[in-house]
Formats: sequence, C-alpha cells, structure tokens
Amino acid sequence: MNSMDESRKRVATSRDARQQEKIPLLAEADKEKLVRDCHPDYKAEAYRTLRLGPNQGERTVHELADLLEGESLVLKERMDLKADHSVDLLIIGGGGAGAAAALTARSSGAKILLATKLRFGDSNTVMAEGGMQVAVNPDDSPVQHFLDTFRGGHMKNDKILLKTLVEEGPAAAKWLMDLGVLFDREEDGNLSVRSGGGSSRPRLLRCKDYTGLELMRVLKDEVLNEEVEILEFSPAVELLSDRSGTCTGAVLKNLDTGRHIVVCAKTVLLATGGIGRLHIQGFPTSNHFGATADGLPMAYRLGARLTLQDTFQYHPTGAIFPEPMAGILVTEGIRSVGGQLVNALGSRFINELETRDAVAAAVIRECHEGRGVITASGRVGVWLDMPMVDRINGLGTLEKRFPNMIRQFSRYQIDIRNEAVLVYPTLHYQNGGIWIDVNGESQVKNLFVAGEASGGIHGRNRLMGNSLLDIIVYGRRSGRAAAERAKSVPAGDLTLEHVDHFEEQRKSRGIVSKRISPMLFPDYVRTEEK
Amino acid sequence: MAVGTEVEIEIAGERCSVPGEITLIQALWAAGKRPVHGIGCLGGVCGACPVTYRLGGATAPSTGLACQTLVREGMTVLAFLSDLSQKALYTIPNHRPDQKDLFLSYPETRRCTTCGSCSAVCPQEIDVMSGVKAALSGDFAKVAQRFTACVMCGLCAMVCDVHIRPHRVGLWSRRIAGAFSSDPPHLTNRLAEIDEGRFQGDWERALSEP
Repeated sequence: MNSMDESRKRVATSRDARQQEKIPLLAEADKEKLVRDCHPDYKAEAYRTLRLGPNQGERTVHELADLLEGESLVLKERMDLKADHSVDLLIIGGGGAGAAAALTARSSGAKILLATKLRFGDSNTVMAEGGMQVAVNPDDSPVQHFLDTFRGGHMKNDKILLKTLVEEGPAAAKWLMDLGVLFDREEDGNLSVRSGGGSSRPRLLRCKDYTGLELMRVLKDEVLNEEVEILEFSPAVELLSDRSGTCTGAVLKNLDTGRHIVVCAKTVLLATGGIGRLHIQGFPTSNHFGATADGLPMAYRLGARLTLQDTFQYHPTGAIFPEPMAGILVTEGIRSVGGQLVNALGSRFINELETRDAVAAAVIRECHEGRGVITASGRVGVWLDMPMVDRINGLGTLEKRFPNMIRQFSRYQIDIRNEAVLVYPTLHYQNGGIWIDVNGESQVKNLFVAGEASGGIHGRNRLMGNSLLDIIVYGRRSGRAAAERAKSVPAGDLTLEHVDHFEEQRKSRGIVSKRISPMLFPDYVRTEEK
Repeated sequence: MAVGTEVEIEIAGERCSVPGEITLIQALWAAGKRPVHGIGCLGGVCGACPVTYRLGGATAPSTGLACQTLVREGMTVLAFLSDLSQKALYTIPNHRPDQKDLFLSYPETRRCTTCGSCSAVCPQEIDVMSGVKAALSGDFAKVAQRFTACVMCGLCAMVCDVHIRPHRVGLWSRRIAGAFSSDPPHLTNRLAEIDEGRFQGDWERALSEP
C-alpha cells in the first residue's frame, strides 16, 4: 500500500536523480498503442451509436448522445413566436469567442444582441492559464506551427481551417495588444515565448498564468465600451428556423423571470463553449459551471453536422487533493519548465512534453496498474513535482510565473514551492464539435459557430495554446462573416418546425427521453460533489 | 479534518449542517440550493462569487471568493455579493494619457483617503491602495503590475467610503499600459513576412503532403 506520506518521501528522495534523467519521446507506433490501450476515448462501453440526426450511425459518448437525442425544452412550454428583438446578429455565449465576434461584427456595422447564460465573461476562456500559441520567433513559422498542430491532431485536422488559424495568429496577437492586452516580454522587448506539449518550437504567449483572465478582462471591457446590447442570465433554449431549414433566430429564457424571449436574427453565432460539466465517463472537470455543451443539441436538431464528436481532451494534470480542488487545472506550463510526473514509487514514467492524450493515457496506466497514490476521499493520482521547477530554473520561478497557482494551493495550506501535488486527468476540452467552414459557418445557412463548440481545427487532440488562438481568430472571422451575411439576407420566418420534425423522428424510432436538452446547468445537489 | 465530519454553519440566517472540507459554493449544494447567480468558474478567477462572512468569535467580518473559501464550524455567511459598480465608457486615446485622462473616466479616484479598506478585502492579496496611489501619480505601468491578478470581483469598490472603483481604475491602467507598449520586433517582422508571402513555398510543401 502506498500511503500518501511514504510516497511523498520517495518523491523528495528521488529528486536529485530525477533532475538529470532524460526520457525520450515515444515512437509514433508506441504512442498510438499507449493511447489506444489507456485513453478514455477508446473505452468502448462509454460510447454508443447515434440513432438519428445529421451524424446518425456515428459514435459518441453516452453523455453527449443523451443530449443530441434528447427532448427540446420548448416542446413542453409552447410560446407565441413574436419577436421581442430583431437584430442582424445574435451571439449566443459570452466567452472569448463571443466577445471577439461582437467586436468585429460591430466594426462591420451590424446590430448585435449578445445573450449569455451567466454573466458576460463567465466562460472557460477566463480560466485558461497556459497561453496562446503564435509563431513569432525568427526560427519559427506559421508552417511549423501548422505541422506541429497537424501531428498533434493525429492528422485529422481540416487543413484549410488549420492554415487559416496559424497564419492569422500574428495578426490576432497584434490586435489584442492594440486593445491593451499585456503579454509577458523579454528584456529586448520581444514577446516572451514558452514551449508546450507537442510543439517543436516555443511559441506560447502568456500573461503569467493568467492569460485567459487577461484576454477576457480586456475583451469584455471593449465590448462594453462599444455599447453592444447584452442580455445576461438569458441562455438560448432552442434555435428558430424558416421552413427551408435556415436559421432565423433563437428562443432565450430569462432565468430570473422564467419568461421566454424570442429573437429574430438574420444570423446566429453559437459561441457556447465546452462540455466539461457533462462529467464524461465520471471524470472531474476543469471547466466552468456553465460548460454543458448547450450549442450542440440545438444545432444538431436544426441539421448541423458534427465532426470528430467522439474525441475529448482529458488534461493530464487536474488536481485531486484536497477534495475541493478536484478537477482544477494544473497548467501544462509547469511541465514546460521542468515539472515532472512521478508515480507512487518515486519514478518518472513518461516524457512530460508528449501530447496531452499520451500523457493522460500514461497517468491512467500508472494508476490502473497500482502505482498511483490514493487519497482519503478515494481518488487516485500521481505526483506532479513542482519544486523541481525552481530547482531547474532558479528559486523564485514558481512565484514569478505561476502566481495564480501558488495562491490557489495556498488557500488549502499547500506550498507548491516545497511540495509536490497529486494529479489525475481531468475532463478539459471537446476536440471536435459542430462542423464549420473557414468563415465559421455550419452546414445550416446563417448559423455560425466559433470557439470550443466548433470542430475540425484541432483534429483529434488539441495542442496547448491553440484554443485561445482559435477563439480570437475564428471569433473575429465569424463575427465579420456573419455581419457581412446579414447585409444581404432578409429577416426570416420564425418557426419551431425543425423541432417538431426531430421529435417525430425520435418517437418513430422509439427513442425514450433520458434528457431534456440543452442541459443548462449540472446538478450537484444530490451528489454533494464538485 | 477527517473526511466524513460535519460542520454547522449559518447561511443568510438559516442554520445548516454540511460536510467539512468543502467550499461555500459546495455548501449551498449540500444544503439543497441551486444558485444561478454568484457562481461562475469555480476556480477562483472570474470574480462571480465574492462573499462576506464571520467566523465564530471574530468581531470583524472577512471577505473571500465563495468557491475558494472552506466552511468552518460556527461560520456565519453574511451575504453573497455582486459587483454593481458602473463602468465608465471610453476609447483608448491616440496620445499617451496621464492621470488627467483617468479622471475624465473615474474622477472620484482623487478622493482617496488612504484608509486601506480596499487592500484589506481583496481576495487576490493585491495591495489595492498602492495601486490607486500609483494611478494618482500617472504611473500606469506600476498600476498594471499591481492589478495583474485582479478578478474584477468588485469587493474593493464595495467597501470604499468615497466610492472609488479601484478594480476599474486597475483595468483602465492595464489597457493603457498595454496599448502604449513598444512593438515587439519579432512580431513586427513576422507580420511583414506573412504580408510579403514569404512562406509560400513552405505552404505548398506542407499542404501537398498526404
């Protein structure tokens, strides 16, 4: 039995030897085998085949299939479809992608309504710590960035989407800086860059370990300065369509009054973010409270095809101790600067800068084979040796570069400068999502998607730092494209016919409802868990 | 504290028994509540959940973020708060601004009495008062450095007797400091290279590979 204290001692005594240890990257075939054997994406029982809709016959996890095959909220609550708002563009979701889209759409002169489920800015964006990948260095290039990302994505990335992402990276960085975003700099004035898993060159731009907070603070401030109309606590509960399957708006629900709000919109942008609060396969999550994949079932019912909807990113290092921290992200940035993963016996077991799917699979294998540490709450994990960071880079590195993490753990009396922390993979990101073209439009006319809810850019495994790049590049592109489209299309008829049609299909295929979708919020009242 | 123990706390006048070793947000769920307001990232960085509470025996109340504050025996939660302060609308000027420009947006900043209440309540341990002082002298780089960790919870503005909005002063100063920073040479070069089509050949090779 590996008690926590004994194991912790082994971490301390092995530190000297481990500091010099070099572990080579896995050969491609060995990496594939590790991932296939141990990664949750390959657990057959967790998946089922979709029985209806645009991806009928394809697989996804039960938790998402339940929502995609679920019952629409509006079926029970009929309403008069008379428009309360008429706009050029309705943006659903108030994170980084929604905010970036609002700014470019506004520059194009569009009349915008931005509807959010919680407050504007409440999102996964605000929690991002690691940074934003941009190929700035002379010995780097957007092409190299493309190649790294393509390899990391198992070569399933849409090439045009990816080329656009990386080529527009430098312009995205400049745009953010002109808005006042403060990225860390070197003494010579150049942007400070760091390495991330799977990247052949360092190209992560960061603001200490607050990169997401920094971006969201500035973007939200500018959207408010532009006086974009915003409805908070008003999640979308269904999309509206005309009789030819074009998206014509959405129904929102005011969470305080319970009233439905009908929005007639020439274009709609889904920026609804992630899926973490589905707790796929029972994993804890790094995601914010509202990450319940809301955009996906609504788009699905309207006929928008999904892509790569069977792959999810489990960030290798989510905290598991103490219990209230379960799922909280411990940034890959720690591994970028020498933090080491150590099993209960005090040994390393994987090169820490393999791509996330490989590292997660390796951690799961260690724990499954009995080399993990078990906490009092019954969670199992391995050590992330934080003190190694100061050893390798000099005293004060953790304090200077990871102040957010130092504070988070100090609230639980853990000093990461002196102690390793326990980690296990945490549900972090949806690699796939709603299929989009290079302007962010889905297969449904006038329905755009940006950010985590969209799929194709990252292939089957996203690299660190490419999500913040995605929301800025494609948030801007889709905002601009939707605003342009709105100039040339009329306001459409508002119907829920596509919902009735989908419901008929559900009934005729004997699909018994397990879920009403969108889910809106997870329910922790019974389980008393995070 | 051992797993499985319970503590007695009071939330808005209501006594409840909840498991020990959980956060105040988790305590709300344990008490059967399903809050939609005052809940956000659950990770301590979005500022949605500022809370004020008193620990048994203490005379003065404490402040914190509900998702980062552990319950304790005898704790009385006084209120879950939210930032109701107004934001000034502004555009980033073309000229490099000084404190007079700040005062156009946030004139009350000049009334600071150096009471230190703002620093005392900040859940991110920011020396808010020294940030406000630096703003008054136009040292926006220093303000920017001070407010790096600000999650915009608004507790500082709630307790200020003269209605200063330090968190908004902090964000304004950060954006000014950022917008007037020097252009990073490598980024400028890279933008020019992309414009000139420097990577054309590399792209053709990269995209032709299967």
